[in-house]
Amino acid sequence: MTRLRGLAPGVALGLLLIDLLGMLVLSVVTPSFLSTYNLFVTGRDLSILLLVALAQMIVLSLGQMNLSIGSIGGLVAIIESGLMVRYGVPVPAALVAGLLLGIVCGVVNGLLVYWTKINSFVLTLGTSYVFAGLNLGITHATPFYHIPGEISAFGQARVGPFPVMAAVTVVLTLLLAGFLYQVVLGRQLLAVGSNPLAARLSGLPIRRATLTAHAISGFLAAVAGTMLMAQLGQGQPTIGATWVLPSFAGPIIGGAALSGGSAPVLGTVLAMVLISLIDDGLVLVSADPFWVQFLIGALILGAVVLGRTRLSEIRALLRISPSATRRVGSIR
Amino acid sequence: MSAEPNPLPPEVRLEVSGIRKQFPGVVALDDVSLRLRAGEIHALLGENGAGKSTLIKILTGVYQPDEGEIRLDGSPVRFVSPRSALAAGISVVHQERNLIPQFTVAENILLERIPTRGLQLVDHSAINRLARPWIEMVGLDAAPATPVVELSVAQMQLVEIAKALSLQARILLMDEPTAAITPHEVGYLFRILGDLRRHNVALVFVSHKLEEVFDLCDRVTVLRDGKNAAADVAVAGLDRDRLVTYMIGRAEVIAELPPKPVPGEPMLELAGLTTEGGDAVLNLVLRKGEVLGVYGLVGAGRSKLAKTLVGEVKVTGGEVRVRGKKTRINGFREALEKHRIGYVSEDRKQEGLILLHSVRANTSITIWRHLRTLGQWIRHSAEDAAILPSLRQLDVKAQSLSQSVGTLSGGNQQKVSIAKWLAAKAEILIIDEPTVGIDIKTKNALHELIWDLAANGKSILLISSDMPEVIRLSDRIVVMRNHAIVGELPNTHQYDEMSESIMARLS
Repeated sequence: MTRLRGLAPGVALGLLLIDLLGMLVLSVVTPSFLSTYNLFVTGRDLSILLLVALAQMIVLSLGQMNLSIGSIGGLVAIIESGLMVRYGVPVPAALVAGLLLGIVCGVVNGLLVYWTKINSFVLTLGTSYVFAGLNLGITHATPFYHIPGEISAFGQARVGPFPVMAAVTVVLTLLLAGFLYQVVLGRQLLAVGSNPLAARLSGLPIRRATLTAHAISGFLAAVAGTMLMAQLGQGQPTIGATWVLPSFAGPIIGGAALSGGSAPVLGTVLAMVLISLIDDGLVLVSADPFWVQFLIGALILGAVVLGRTRLSEIRALLRISPSATRRVGSIR
Repeated sequence: MSAEPNPLPPEVRLEVSGIRKQFPGVVALDDVSLRLRAGEIHALLGENGAGKSTLIKILTGVYQPDEGEIRLDGSPVRFVSPRSALAAGISVVHQERNLIPQFTVAENILLERIPTRGLQLVDHSAINRLARPWIEMVGLDAAPATPVVELSVAQMQLVEIAKALSLQARILLMDEPTAAITPHEVGYLFRILGDLRRHNVALVFVSHKLEEVFDLCDRVTVLRDGKNAAADVAVAGLDRDRLVTYMIGRAEVIAELPPKPVPGEPMLELAGLTTEGGDAVLNLVLRKGEVLGVYGLVGAGRSKLAKTLVGEVKVTGGEVRVRGKKTRINGFREALEKHRIGYVSEDRKQEGLILLHSVRANTSITIWRHLRTLGQWIRHSAEDAAILPSLRQLDVKAQSLSQSVGTLSGGNQQKVSIAKWLAAKAEILIIDEPTVGIDIKTKNALHELIWDLAANGKSILLISSDMPEVIRLSDRIVVMRNHAIVGELPNTHQYDEMSESIMARLS
């Protein structure tokens, strides 16, 4: 019961229907939607952007935000590729170093927020410039080309239409859901996000919850950056530069409350499917490339507004449902 | 206040003495003592700002006292954090609900010690199993897996009590537990507190309602201006007047309200109104110069009714007539500009006032549109001329018009939130819970002021969950329950008789 509720079934069901409808429309309108290549490319984008959205969702569930997800992803990608290309560091070591760096960046965000009590919006806006600045200082905006072949191969690998890198995303998503709903620290994190005062008066570990959320956020951003590097076959300094909008759009369309306390994993997944469909649809119908950004922005805003209205209507309905009013006044 | 070094009598569980707590610029507590015995309910009384919450925060380890001693079972203790007070068996049910709404009843009860099975995995069945006895002990009729959002306010309170008991609380502090629950639920709560008393828990009961103190409590400690006005006095030997004298330093004088003219023509009529907010059919008539009391508990739909009248909630059926003419009200601005209806929100701090802004800006905010000159400027002289009469009429005490409203006392804040509607020449005032969080002295002044407004021809819809207030001020009383008006009573101003007939409509 708890678990279902955490996943916000009302929102998720609506999104699922919209997703299915979108797929149906796209496959009718443009037969190439169902082509192996298109499904592979779309699935690969989805695998990366979903991690980006989850990186935001975990921090939103704490009632905070992380504007540095993109710059963490970018910094990690160029550090990993730089280590491998410039210094010949073995692949596993470079990847471990990169993922650790992501976690460290997240912990830095968390510590700053916890210590200074300054709004996370301002702090992570600041750290995003710091991380992006490091990236630029190191690369001078030049990519690290010729990353090891096994990495690029991973980025292109597929089983039928399914990109292999989707496996990473699926596993991480399941682990995250399990953490939030089944592990004590995850529950504590949600409790802190939902009612910080109550959590404090109950003696919950506020600092550990804050640091954990930001560390997970940094880690997921790092994995996303690594996967995009693999897909591009090079350490591009611009990796992550466009992630801010999708990072918020996913959780918010998926039903997360900016005030914290909710972590709609399923909703976020379905919302990112919707965003990928929008993205892909615009490519397939050959929308003018110079107008694509405008259209994506407008469609995502539309989806957010739609999601909000529906949610508030559901809430209003719940509040006045006969059973709810009858409860008031009867205690036995 | 005995200073002899007598050994503590065995039944004393917690003894607090000589407590002093200073904040920058204020002495919140000065030489305060409190003595709690096992198996007793101890009332802690005092007006707002008397120091009750500071004392509770000291007992629960949120604040540390500057001076003084706390002895638990005879030996001195220090509570350095909420955790250490909890560990010593002191729990508190706060005024604000301290539950995680999305979590289940059981999870909330066991929040800080969620049972696990290996690898820190949450053991859901163990949570429900371990919480069940506590849920049953407080008589809460809800499954352990029920999410807290689905409970009523009274049920949430029971969850908090269950949580406190599950922490092996030997001392339970209840901060205004009856503020938001029905009389029926209060009765039930009192039975549970009685049970706890029999189980030798030491209870502290903070309340503003003196009737409840006499019903429930064994002994009482009263704070006034941060000092003990009464320490550990048996309730049995007290009467209401005596207790009020402790609280406000003098006997309470409730002046008879002067007669006012008989209400005139109908100003506002609702006929068969239904709203988007789920209100059932509403019928009422408010006349010129009348105070119409709307009594109902929190959640009965009173504020929804108010918001409907200022166009914030959509009307789905029925009729609204203002001054005899059928109309629609679309939003605050139209309510004020066209119908002269003003709404004094129950939530002064969030909805009624802009705390950081000046008295001037808060009062004139309703008439800025009319004050602006051609260049969209607002001249202070014109502004002051427009607002001063209302501020004077209500006798607002402020150092200057530029003083920020947040630094005024609660009573003066309330006056400013009424003054802004008077400045805008509102004739119908909807006043929602005017004296919540306001102390006895100021409460009387506000009552006289509301009465005076009606005597001078304003029509007042007085929404309140404070029964003595409604009975004192109203010409007639309508009772709301479950978003419907369940009765309309002429007011005889006889408390016992009126309260009985109001209660009859509620159950």
